[in-house]
Amino acid sequence: MKRPMKRLYPIIPLIEERAARDQVPHRADAPTSEALGYPGELVEDWQARAIERLGERVAGSRALRVFMDSCTRCGACTDKCHYFLGTHDPNNMPVARQELLRAVWRRYHTWSGRWFPWLVGARDLTRERLDDWYRYFHQCSECRRCAVFCPQGIDTSEVSMAGRDILATVGLGQRYGQTIVEKAGRLGNNLGLKRPALADVLESLEEDILEETGVAVRLPLDRTGCEILVVTPSADFFAEPHVDGLIGYAKVLHAAGVSWTFSSHASEAANFGLFAGNLEQERQLAERLMTAVITLGVSRLVIGECGHAWRVAGARLPALVGDLSMLAKGRAEHLCELTVELLQAGRIRLDPARNAGVVATYHDSCNVARGAMMGERADGAFELPRRLLRAAVPEFVEMAESSTRRQTFCCGGGGGLLSDELLPLRVQGAEPRARALRSVVDERAVTHLVAICAICKTQFGSVLPAHQLGQVQVTSLHALVGDALVLAVPPGDPDRHEAPVT
Amino acid sequence: MAGRLAGPLFTLVIAWSLGALLWRMVRWVRTPQPVPVPLTPAPRTRAGVLARLGAELFAFRSLFRASRITWAASLALHYGLLGILLVHARFLMPVLPTWMVPVLQISGWATLLTLTGIAVLAARRMLIDRLRWISVPSDHLHLVLLATIVLGGAALKRWWPTDLYATGVFLRGALTLDWQPPPMHAGLWLHLGSVLLLIAVFPISKLVHGLAIPFTPTWNTRGR
Repeated sequence: MKRPMKRLYPIIPLIEERAARDQVPHRADAPTSEALGYPGELVEDWQARAIERLGERVAGSRALRVFMDSCTRCGACTDKCHYFLGTHDPNNMPVARQELLRAVWRRYHTWSGRWFPWLVGARDLTRERLDDWYRYFHQCSECRRCAVFCPQGIDTSEVSMAGRDILATVGLGQRYGQTIVEKAGRLGNNLGLKRPALADVLESLEEDILEETGVAVRLPLDRTGCEILVVTPSADFFAEPHVDGLIGYAKVLHAAGVSWTFSSHASEAANFGLFAGNLEQERQLAERLMTAVITLGVSRLVIGECGHAWRVAGARLPALVGDLSMLAKGRAEHLCELTVELLQAGRIRLDPARNAGVVATYHDSCNVARGAMMGERADGAFELPRRLLRAAVPEFVEMAESSTRRQTFCCGGGGGLLSDELLPLRVQGAEPRARALRSVVDERAVTHLVAICAICKTQFGSVLPAHQLGQVQVTSLHALVGDALVLAVPPGDPDRHEAPVT
Repeated sequence: MAGRLAGPLFTLVIAWSLGALLWRMVRWVRTPQPVPVPLTPAPRTRAGVLARLGAELFAFRSLFRASRITWAASLALHYGLLGILLVHARFLMPVLPTWMVPVLQISGWATLLTLTGIAVLAARRMLIDRLRWISVPSDHLHLVLLATIVLGGAALKRWWPTDLYATGVFLRGALTLDWQPPPMHAGLWLHLGSVLLLIAVFPISKLVHGLAIPFTPTWNTRGR
């Protein structure tokens, strides 16, 4: 298929010193930080403790150790970050972001930096630099696009994560991220939904679906003895357009006659411990999933439409929680894999005519594209969602090649930056995606932007109007799949007799 | 006096460099990686991982994606240097074997390739505002050092001849601890001195970057 617009940026913008200086996330409040085991405010000996923590981080991570040593400042990454392309602030060039940390590493932890700081670009850790750490490690969405182009395979997200952890350790935590980690650890999900509220939501959604389709589709909670546990970002329970995706999941699983359930204990797929660079937090949140798997007695763990949740569950789960042999496939699965499996087995049928008028394009979410494998094929993370989309809509259009698949741009709100005070940054960070999208809207009359990540969906909903793309409908993949689904009663299922046969 | 010290100094610097490189690699290997961080899509087999590392090591695949000009210049620089190193193997051999004769023929092309690469990399570092902004003094100096070595070597070969046989005796002596003085020749001393500096800083500067590639967890980890 011909793709419009080959080069998104024929000319790379010139740098503008400190253009994004004012975009700083709110600091965490003391009680939240303390609840997570961090100091409530900047500690007095912050310099010594930050330098020490930096040493610990490097000693504990081969990735970080190699990345500290191997950058040549070749500049291959300098025009690859959406925040650089959007803000023009040179500190948002991935290499510059890394150098914020690496220059301090050289100063205190290497021989050349101790003796010849002026020669090798080593820098003292001043209060000013610490503030720059806070500023620019929170202008990175940890999307890893730069790593795709780095001839050393350096992953800036590892640097940003380490930087955020060091900052939290000396008392400079980010409010949005820490509030969420604290809530998810205490209540099981990022929204702080308790079980009764969750049950209410699911029940009212069941009524909505019945009213709309005449089919009694269930959204079971804490049902034991099922085959599948579905864990999804809690935004799916409430936010628009996420909830339409949730309804889509339920319709698919109903139509295929799968026995499945949600869990109130693991009512959150998202794991902001990853964004914070705190392995212990990440592990504790991930363990909720395994507890639910075991107590509910399911044999398959399926992750809904959430980008970084899939990175955690798909690529990091065994390292975090250990043995997964209680799962039928020995691993977590992505919902798209399951839906494709059901489609191929003929257990569900999709009729794209039911989405008449929809011209859809697909945004590869960064963590899905670059963070974990999906299905059995190497390019499953790109192909499986597209296969579903093609089967669900009459017309599917690709955006520019430099903005899809492994080269996809972050939506501009990932990595724990989806907070209101960072809205100007999020608008600027969405610029590359908006460019690619505008081109297919103008040339191919695209109506829907499809994503499989809760953050992407929320972010696009908020920022596309600022790019004069408010007319494009941001949609869950499974919302379109659910709309295209031919809902019928699986034969021989007495539980479903109330559903009309179509 | 200086002539007699040159051999032991050479031996010492080479020993330091090899030792430090080994230490650095051991430290990379021994640093734990608690969670896998593959950059996906990642190969699922060991052979696939080797192929990925090979493509990065020998063809600079990711750099190709990033910028064709930087890629071409880097390839020219590195393969030019490889050619130059091959030509220098003559100094390790007391008698020139016949199969070395065609190898020596690439000398001019290898030099040209290397110098072109250095020139392009230096130019972009100075001309492109983003590159200028991220560069530190040692980035420029590494290129200056390389250019000094290559230009000095080219001068020795073409316009400022020295005793190649005695140079070989000196070099083999330094490697076998049978130290011999090098010819007293300003051009040769400049060349050897700059090479010595390069070898000395190699393990404690960004010059180690190529060795780090096999240890990079984003690439050497299998996708599930």
